[in-house]
Amino acid sequence: MNDNLQQQFADLVPFLATWAHPCEHERSQVRREMDSEGFEAFYAAMLPRLDDLLAVVDRYELGALPPAVLPFFHLLLAFAEAAPHCELYGGSNRVPNSFDAARFVAAHGFEYDA
Amino acid sequence: MPVTNAYPELGTGPIDVAPLISEALFETEREAVFGRTWLMVARVEELAAPGDYKVRQLDVANTSVILVRDRDGSVNAFHNICTHRGNKLISDHGDQMLGHARNHSFTCRFHAWTFATDGRLHGVPRADRFANFDRDCLGLKRIHCEQWEGFVFINLAAEPATDLRTYLDGMAPHFAGYPYHESTARYRYSTVLNCNWKVALYAFSEAYHVRTIHAATFPSLATLEHTEFHCFGPHSTSGLYVPPVPGLSPTPATAAFGKRLHDSGTHAPHLEELPAAVNPRRREDFQFEFACFFPNTVFHLCAGNGYPGMTYFIHQFWPISVDRTLWEGTNFFRAPGSPGERIAIAHTTALHRNAWLEDTSTMEETHAALKSGVLDELVLMDEEIMIRNTHKHWHDYMGT
Repeated sequence: MNDNLQQQFADLVPFLATWAHPCEHERSQVRREMDSEGFEAFYAAMLPRLDDLLAVVDRYELGALPPAVLPFFHLLLAFAEAAPHCELYGGSNRVPNSFDAARFVAAHGFEYDA
Repeated sequence: MPVTNAYPELGTGPIDVAPLISEALFETEREAVFGRTWLMVARVEELAAPGDYKVRQLDVANTSVILVRDRDGSVNAFHNICTHRGNKLISDHGDQMLGHARNHSFTCRFHAWTFATDGRLHGVPRADRFANFDRDCLGLKRIHCEQWEGFVFINLAAEPATDLRTYLDGMAPHFAGYPYHESTARYRYSTVLNCNWKVALYAFSEAYHVRTIHAATFPSLATLEHTEFHCFGPHSTSGLYVPPVPGLSPTPATAAFGKRLHDSGTHAPHLEELPAAVNPRRREDFQFEFACFFPNTVFHLCAGNGYPGMTYFIHQFWPISVDRTLWEGTNFFRAPGSPGERIAIAHTTALHRNAWLEDTSTMEETHAALKSGVLDELVLMDEEIMIRNTHKHWHDYMGT
């Protein structure tokens, strides 16, 4: 399964190390420090693969994703959180004219998404 | 016709700025407002089993509150203080904390006094060494606590002027029956804002700002209609509708995640599950019911348009000092039934958090500017009536 997924989504594998983190707090840190090229590359790679990858993770129950699938689940969560930066904020890591995102505390931020 | 015509007692004049910046008024409102009103502090799902407790810091009252599910199923509220030497009974950290009382009791770590979850003092080491000791008089200090629709409220007054149901006035029937208990997946953000709690509350009490402040995150809200205002005593509510913006389609990710939610029975629009008084004409462009529960809670009920079905979200504004406020924003979703639904909910949560980052961007600047004293009064437009209502009733509570 591991090899299969890694092969089937070989184009997304290079993004795992940067983007696929198990909790929102870590993913937010990545997002806040990302540059526009990084957002655009991630978005361009993920969008055409979104439905296929969602179909893969949806073969499993929430909370019972196999270890080989989990990084791709976290990659999808990172995409969900990053997409607005490409679609709405012109590739900026900030929401325009906004409060300092680093001062927002997510109570659920350290929970492990599994 | 102007909304304010229906509420002549509110008038159409400006509101005064002093309540937003005056240190003296802040010291008075600690007791006059927060010491006498019913404050929403928990959901019953947080206290599901006997022994489950929540500790809530309440800086405005210089106290910390324990809410606990007792063995008999009731929820009790106590000041978080050991009646022996005044230590905090539960060493809390953060503004709110959940826990479970083992053996239905709390033990103070100072001298191991032990209290039952009904407040009774039942364990005192070397009790024979206290003179004239009457443990019946040394139970935990109780706070009035009542529930409505699964929301737990407290009232810090020795004797509240009314029960919770009376206090909620017309809000209680207006909002009754929504399936609050089904929306158990919660995502809470908080921050300390360097502004008065009412500066933050008022910014979240109108939709006039939406076209400017949320132009980046929610361009789809440009056509919004804010209507169906009702004032029920110090509380107020309204309906927000968003007809489709001509020529504007959702972005690709929003479309993909939105479809995922709308295709699931759980997260699809369910207008029929709204209380009858909310979106009474069952308009499909209903975005949310938008309400202010006096003094410090802003409430939004959704039904699946722009949000996963039967999402509700709450803002609370907890005063710390005249110019510092703990803001908490919490989304309540129905639990995701699959990994894909979890991801789609993460997308909604991210957009929502981003909109809140836009909302909170003005508050510290507003407070700093008001502190200059340059303005004595603020003018309000017709649809800012919920601010007008809150402000009037704030003055009534203050006797000013």
